[in-house]
This record gives sequence, C-alpha cells and structure tokens, in this order.
Amino acid sequence: MNDSAALLQIRGLSRRFGGLQAVADLSFDAHAGEILGVIGPNGAGKSTTFNMIAGALAPSAGSIQFDGQSLAGLPTHAFAARGIMRTFQHNKPFPSMTLLENVSVGRHTRIGTTLWQVIGATPSARLAEQRCREHAAEMINFVGLGEWLEADVSTLSFGQGRLLEIARALAGSPRLMLFDEPAAGLSPAECERLIEVIRAIASRKICVLLIEHDMRFLMSLADRVVVLNFGRRIAEGTPDQIRADPAVVEAYLGDLGALTRA
Amino acid sequence: MKSLAGYLVAAIVLSVLAFVLGAYQTDVYRKLLLWITLALGYNFLFGVSGQVAFSHFTFYGIGAYSIVILTTQLQWALPLAVVAAVLICVVAALVVAIPATRLDGFYLALATLAFAQLFVVVLNEGGSLTGGTGGLANYRIPDIAGIRITGPWYTVVIVLLMLGTLGVLWRLDRSYFGRACRAVRDNPEAAAAMGIDPRRTRVIAYVITSALAGLAGIVYAFVDNTVNPVIFGLENAFLLLFMVIIGGSGSHAGAVIGAVLLYLMPFVLSPLIGHHHALVFGLVMVLAVLFQPRGLIGLWEALKSRSQAPLRGHPR
Repeated sequence: MNDSAALLQIRGLSRRFGGLQAVADLSFDAHAGEILGVIGPNGAGKSTTFNMIAGALAPSAGSIQFDGQSLAGLPTHAFAARGIMRTFQHNKPFPSMTLLENVSVGRHTRIGTTLWQVIGATPSARLAEQRCREHAAEMINFVGLGEWLEADVSTLSFGQGRLLEIARALAGSPRLMLFDEPAAGLSPAECERLIEVIRAIASRKICVLLIEHDMRFLMSLADRVVVLNFGRRIAEGTPDQIRADPAVVEAYLGDLGALTRA
Repeated sequence: MKSLAGYLVAAIVLSVLAFVLGAYQTDVYRKLLLWITLALGYNFLFGVSGQVAFSHFTFYGIGAYSIVILTTQLQWALPLAVVAAVLICVVAALVVAIPATRLDGFYLALATLAFAQLFVVVLNEGGSLTGGTGGLANYRIPDIAGIRITGPWYTVVIVLLMLGTLGVLWRLDRSYFGRACRAVRDNPEAAAAMGIDPRRTRVIAYVITSALAGLAGIVYAFVDNTVNPVIFGLENAFLLLFMVIIGGSGSHAGAVIGAVLLYLMPFVLSPLIGHHHALVFGLVMVLAVLFQPRGLIGLWEALKSRSQAPLRGHPR
C-alpha cells in the first residue's frame, strides 16, 4: 500500500497540555479496509491521539488529512459528514430513545431533506425518513440486536450497549470508524463477538482505527499496529513484528507478561 | 394521508363547537385553545429540546403587541402585518437565542428570565407606542378584502392555529430534527459525534417555537381586543412551565392534557373553594414533581405498559 492511497494520513501530529507534551511528532497512515491498532502503556497519548482524529481536540501542530483533505479547524460535528464516525469508551447512548431511534440519530448527516420539506411532509421527506429507519434497522441487525429494535436502551446490558454504539456509528455510512477502547469492560464471549463485528466492518472497505489497552484483543484483531510511548511512535508493523520489537518489549517491561501472553 | 384526514376531522369537530357555545363559553374555549397552542410549542422547546427558557410567553406578547401596533398605529394591511409581526418574533428570537444558547441549563433560564422581565419593562415604559401600563385597547381586527372575521369564525381561526401548530411540531418531532433535539438534550457530546451541531439545533428549535408563540400572540390580540403588560408577565410564563411538567414534558399529548387541566382547574375549583384553588394547584404541582416527574402522560404509559408487559420483548 503506498502513501498516496492512504485514506487517513497523519503527519507530525502534536499536542501539548501546558508543560506536558501528550503527543509529539506522530505520523502514520491508515487505509480503507484495514484494521489499524494503536496501543501503548498508560499515559502514552492514545486517547489524545484518538480525540484529535475524532475532532474532539485540536492538535497543537501537525496535520490530519482525510481522503486528501485537511481536517484542520473543523468543529467536532463536521467530522461525521466527512465520513468519520466514532464510538465512546464509556457508552453514550441517548437514554430517552429506543434502539431504532438511537441508531437513526447516527444517520443524521445522510438524510438530506430540509426542515421545510419536513414541515410540508413532502413525499421526499417521508421517503428519506422511511429509508433512514430501514437503514438503522439493518445496522442493528448487523451487530445482532435486531430483536430489540423498539426496546429502551436502559434494558441493554453493557456489552449490548457497546454493540449499539457501533450500530449507531455505522449508520452514518462512515469511511473511517474510530473505536475508543472497544473491549473495555466486556466479557471474553462479548470480546469474541466484537472481533467478529469489527472484522465484518473492515470487510466492507471501511478503515478501522482502534485505540486499545487490551493487548491480547488488539493483537488478535489488528492488521497493523502503531505503538506509542510518551507521546511518540516507538514501533509500527504487523502484530508479529510488534511482539518481536525490542523497543516495544522495553516500553512494556513493567508489563512483560501481558506482551508474551498476547 | 391518514393523518391529514385526522386533522380534518379534528378541525371540523372543534370548529362546530365554536358555533354552539355561548359568549362566556366561547371566551373560555378560545383561551383554552390558545393555552394548548402555547403549551405545545413550549413542550417542544422545554421537553423535546431540553431548553429551560422562560421567554416563550414573552414571544406571545411580542406577537400580540406587534400586530396591534402595525395595524393600528401604522395602518398596515392585516396579511402584511401578520408576516411582519412573525418576522419581528423571528429576529427577536435570533437575537436572544444566539448568545443565550451558548449557556446551559441554569444560565439559559436566567438569561431568558431577564429577557422576559425586560419586555415587561419596555411595555410599561413604551409611552404611546405600547400604551404604558394601561396597554393598548379600543382597536379591532382590520378587514381583509372587505371581510371582517368575527364571532365563531374567529374561533375557527384559533382552532386552525392550534392544529397547524400541532401539525408542524408533530412533523418536526418525528423527523431527524426532532431526534437531533432529543439527542442534544440527552448528550450533546454524543450528538456532536453523530454530526449534529448542538448550538445550531438549539437555536433553530428556539426560533421555531418562539415564532409559533408569536403567531399565537398575533391571533390572541383580537380575542380580547386589548393587550397590556400584566398579561405578559412572568406568572403566565411559569403557568406554561407547570402545564408542560404536569402533563408530561416531551409529549404532545401531555402538553394538551396539562394545558386543559391547569387552565380549567380554577373554573372548576373556584365555585367550590374560592381562592383556595391556588393552594390545590401548588399541591398538585409538588406531588407531580415528587412522585410523577414524567407527568400524567408518564403515569398513563406506565399503566399501559404494565398491562402489556408480558408481550414486550426484553433483552436478557
């Protein structure tokens, strides 16, 4: 894969918080259909990196190019329309809505009717609304929650809530899906299910970027891994290359067991 | 087109009622319809969009005063004056909303409260333009093409206003916009990640509901044929809030129930217990907030789902 084909190009990305350099001069690419994992010990700058790519945090320096266009200066809510959707580490469903409504919200930027058309109840507005519901239902089926379309989100377990997050993000027809520690808080069985779902997403030619703490989970899933430590990239490669990388072993020395088990 | 038929039937039934009521009942009926209209709009602003604003009744007043000033002092034709009065409400709503929707919860409430108070001050100090403390009176609805809409036909206008407001809000609520409003209310951060601009959504919801309140005010101006500062004071702004809370905020049906109940309560209770009806009102309010925060419509839904519980699918 050459650089010009990369969907996401990150160059010299940096972020300072006062005196703390959370992320420094970070560069990497991600491609359509690829599962890219970003790992690192606590405080390595994973979440800061994630938030910058998701548009929740402005970089201090460097550039993020998506599909050849810079994302600099765009507000958070402009990222979804560009095709970048995310999940939250701590599930953030809309509690007053059913599953179907939650996922329909994820389709917000793809509806394409004006408020005047809505007020006038024009055929195109009705059709768009119907299509939105159908698409949302399809996404809920895709993650395996199809039985509970009209249920309240409060009735879901934590693991099911995570799947709902994914369905909601998928409803926006993303080209880049960002997962913020998707395995956090899940049982081993739920992790297995999550791996299946993420692989299925990548097979739809969607670029998947995961920030993850759980090495075993990430190593079994990612096509390529970027390792951060103290805000800098210390390694990049396939899971096998990463396991054998001396710099990574050193960074994880305190947690060597986790690396060998993974 | 089923919904259109529903609106048509409702319009006919509610209009026929206008022709059989006596003068006193007509007055009560008209004001009830206006309260329902206001409660529907405020429900969307407060219940659906989650904005704790106290300016809704103020826009009712801006609409009413604008139409009177435009038709009497400037002698504008009625249709033109109606359009202009709605535009005045839209502009005023934008002026308030653009800075105020930066504020959350408590501070939005304070800012809109200040705006509501300012409006009353302006009315009192407005000289001959607003008629000062006495307000404006001794005017009547201008003719349109030689025809003057009065009596039961004017009640029909109010029926259409109420149903039109319901129709607009219903459609907005069931659309991506309604979902966006609820999403921003529930979790602005998650809503932004879904591509929703939280501020823009709040501003649009505020302007639409304020314009609808202004339109209701325009219609109200020719109900009593007098407008004065006392009507548009804070007391009614709070009554509107209580209507939506007691009925069940976020629900159109709840807003209608709340408006009907609280508007008619004094008429029923006054003959029985006199001025103590305010005490009953306060008690009902406290009980509702303590025991049924989702209002009467929440109570109804809880009862309904209890009877249907075995039929509903629940994960795990």
